[in-house]
Amino acid sequence: MNLVRFIGECVKRLSGRKGPELSPEEAERLTNLFTERYHSFRTLLAANGRALENMARMEQAHGGTRPYGMNFVVSNATSLAVRVFRMIRHLDALAPGSYVELFGRFDAIRTELEAVLDPPRLPCDGPLVLPLASIRRNDSGVVGSKMANLGEIAGALDLRVPAGFVITAAAYNRLLDHNELRPEIHRRIVSAEIQRSDSLFALSSQLQQLIASATIPPDVEEAVRSALADVADRVGGATGFAVRSSAFGEDTVETSFAGLYESELNVHPDNVLETYLEIAASKYTPQAMVYRYQRGLRNEDTEMAVGCMAMIPAVAGGVAYTSDPQDPDDRRVHVSAAVGLPKTVVDGRFETDLFVVDRHRLDVVDRRVARKTFAFDLRPGEGITRRELPPEVASRAALTDEQSAMIADVALRLETHFGHPQDVEWALTDGGELVILQARPMHHAALSPARPSIAGDPLVTGGVCVSPGVAGGPVRWVRSDREALMVPDGAVLVIEHPDPRWAALLDRAAAVVSEHGGIAGHLATVAREFGVPALFGVGSLEALQRGAAVTVDADGLAVHAGRHPDVEQSHAHRSLMEGSPIQTILGAALSHISPLSLTNPESPDFHPTKVRSLHDITRFCHEKAVTEMFSFGTDNSFPRYAAKQLHHNVPMQWWVLNLDDGFCEEITGKYVKLDQLACEPMLALWDGMVAIPWDGPPAMSGSGFASVLFEATRNPALSTPFKKPYAQRNYFMVSANFMNLQSRFGFHFSTVETLASDRDDENYLIFSLKGGAADEERRAGRARFIADLLDPHGFHLKVIEDTVTARIWAMPQEEILSRLKIVGYLLMHTRQLDMVMGDPASVKHYRAKLERDIVSVLASERPQ
Amino acid sequence: MPIKVLLVDDETSFVETLAKRLTIRNLDVVTAGSADEAFTQLARTAVDVVLLDVKMPGTDGLTAIKTIKRRYPLVEVILLSGHANLEASVGGMALGAFDYLLKPVRLEELVYKIEDAYKRKSIQEEKIRTLREVGVSSPAEPAS
Repeated sequence: MNLVRFIGECVKRLSGRKGPELSPEEAERLTNLFTERYHSFRTLLAANGRALENMARMEQAHGGTRPYGMNFVVSNATSLAVRVFRMIRHLDALAPGSYVELFGRFDAIRTELEAVLDPPRLPCDGPLVLPLASIRRNDSGVVGSKMANLGEIAGALDLRVPAGFVITAAAYNRLLDHNELRPEIHRRIVSAEIQRSDSLFALSSQLQQLIASATIPPDVEEAVRSALADVADRVGGATGFAVRSSAFGEDTVETSFAGLYESELNVHPDNVLETYLEIAASKYTPQAMVYRYQRGLRNEDTEMAVGCMAMIPAVAGGVAYTSDPQDPDDRRVHVSAAVGLPKTVVDGRFETDLFVVDRHRLDVVDRRVARKTFAFDLRPGEGITRRELPPEVASRAALTDEQSAMIADVALRLETHFGHPQDVEWALTDGGELVILQARPMHHAALSPARPSIAGDPLVTGGVCVSPGVAGGPVRWVRSDREALMVPDGAVLVIEHPDPRWAALLDRAAAVVSEHGGIAGHLATVAREFGVPALFGVGSLEALQRGAAVTVDADGLAVHAGRHPDVEQSHAHRSLMEGSPIQTILGAALSHISPLSLTNPESPDFHPTKVRSLHDITRFCHEKAVTEMFSFGTDNSFPRYAAKQLHHNVPMQWWVLNLDDGFCEEITGKYVKLDQLACEPMLALWDGMVAIPWDGPPAMSGSGFASVLFEATRNPALSTPFKKPYAQRNYFMVSANFMNLQSRFGFHFSTVETLASDRDDENYLIFSLKGGAADEERRAGRARFIADLLDPHGFHLKVIEDTVTARIWAMPQEEILSRLKIVGYLLMHTRQLDMVMGDPASVKHYRAKLERDIVSVLASERPQ
Repeated sequence: MPIKVLLVDDETSFVETLAKRLTIRNLDVVTAGSADEAFTQLARTAVDVVLLDVKMPGTDGLTAIKTIKRRYPLVEVILLSGHANLEASVGGMALGAFDYLLKPVRLEELVYKIEDAYKRKSIQEEKIRTLREVGVSSPAEPAS
């Protein structure tokens, strides 16, 4: 009914008939009412702009490679929901009661979104302690993968593992609940910005302190004491314990968490409970938190179980890889070994022996015996002691070839059983018995692509490539946590020893160089997983001065002075988010947010009951708000707030509705001139529209013309008259800093909306164009053509079928205005170009011409 | 006349810092460390915009906004929260909050929001004044 009245009023005004004069009181009332509606309209549009920003951020994150946490997902979803709710409220203020169904639809979508963002926690009850002997592979949801694998090895393969037990994730949950820690931990995590080093280290310290100082629930304490006694009975007396993390997600095919949590060796039984708290607290080491962030894991995804195993007094120990960690195609078994406990190897701090074993013949095909200066042994009572090796032992191989072959054979059995190349930690007793301490899936490095070599003498050479690639940046030495706090993004990390705690810096490091260490250490494993080039065991790195730009060629075993961008490979770390729990949650959330089904305002389905996503709601509210604003002046017979026809020399009809301060003066007649406009955005758009005369329709090939004829016979949108008056012509709504244009040029429908004020943060520009007379393929081609032209100018672009949508936001006013000129130019000059999109030569011609023109449009001044 | 802002938060250091920074931006700021203190302040002084922390010991922000909007329907309330929560945010908006912002909020954005909220309040006051002049009373609830 409003639209009918609108048309009637337009006809009446155009024919010069006037309505009854308003009393001053009525005029004031209507003016106040309009002001209120305008405020609602502006607020709705601002909320719309911000809501679209939230959606764009979430969509970009989901499709991108940069990591993000649950804070990002929940914050954006919350802000988005608030903004959408504001839009509904303000549409309701513009048209009270007209669209109340939106509230119900919004609630339904919000409820679905909440369920996605905060899925119900799986109950984690069950036994507080489980003996290792009773555990199998599928118990990883109770004891973590590390201990589940070990239980499987003993139970299914009949290989020797240490006697022991696991303090389960259920016990960890009891610990949190007993001390009421869960809400506090959550509160601290969501309040911190872990991308900032100082914030990360502070949060890590607070959370570890919370857990380490917690009280162990009596039932957990009792269960642990009983399990300790059982192990003592089994091993025939008192024994020290290795207390090791076994968190969810640790030692899996997807994620290794290598060395990121704490382990304590040879803990006296009296101190196991206290040590348990320290290991549980290590869930929040800085390196573990960074790793979770990079791998898209939630805090809740990594519940902490802890394994307690009787110590094995090893004469030799180490790690076996069932293929080369740097080259998955090299399927020989690589056995690293040291004298004494395997700690020497897994720490990655010292040079150790390497035996390369043929997987079929099980003979040693390569052998590199290092000079091993130390060995780690069990200290009587508790702890580990470092023993200096006499020269004849230091230079002797830690294993015989037969022992290497035996270890390789067992490692291959594990590979076959688990169905994936394995990284196996082992110990050899003085009786020559092999004990498996840990087995986890291997994480191979991505192979380096072919590249040119770097000319000139390197600063340092040698070492071992533990993670391939070439990358450069300023040198940053890190020897302490204080220095770690100051590592900037893109630095080359230079360290003495590959301490696993430096894994916290891998998200910002371009490359890593270490004086000591080898391929089997934890830091090397995580560097490979993150795709950060790393060169370890290089020897003295004194030549690398703090701040100096260098390029690390890990494959070439060299560090060069200066940067070599032609040789450097992309610094973008591998997309570690792909398939992660947080990416999955974001994807599920977006399914309630992004899909746009309300595309045609003329369709009967363009109705509040039909909205399926938050995007649908924004689209609906925006469309209806514009309609409601246009109807005000005519609905109320109030000419001041009715649209004026623009008096100009462009051969189309333009109507302008002044929302607030868009005219320089009050216009009482039915026309408004350009020089009476105070709307900078509209003037900027107009500048672009008239800057260069349009040459007229493009010359069409036979097929282009045929496509138009064919389309005209099948596309009802090209012949059915639109019912909505403001869609039939070109309508501007303006204030001094705001402009909304709804236009139809032939068969092309476009909207331009912008806010360009001195509030940079709130500024935005949205341009959308769809339609055309040619066939679908050509119309879609034109949408992509426009997107390509806008891309260099910083727009966020989306092309769906024949619709291109371009957005920018949070920019200074001048930058928004200059882009409006581009949009104005394209509005006029891409008309009918859909018809030539089937002809590559024409596309090339027009692309070059339009790019040239845009340069001159940007340089043009407004005629005085 | 500067906009009168009541800042309600139990974190003393946050309140002090923010009050100082808002004052530099020409806003007239009074503070309260709890919802009950805020009710006392509101009874004592005419406030345009309340910045209200959602999570506070005692009466929380969502309970407080109900009281504030019931007693002072024209006073605009902006909710501030330390952590995102879909239910609480939309719940707060449904109770009449002008907006719901997540900490840390950029000062510029907060000042814009305060100005917009004040404008909303001024429009409502002007509307009521006009309606009174033409002899109509309207307790119309403003959309926020």
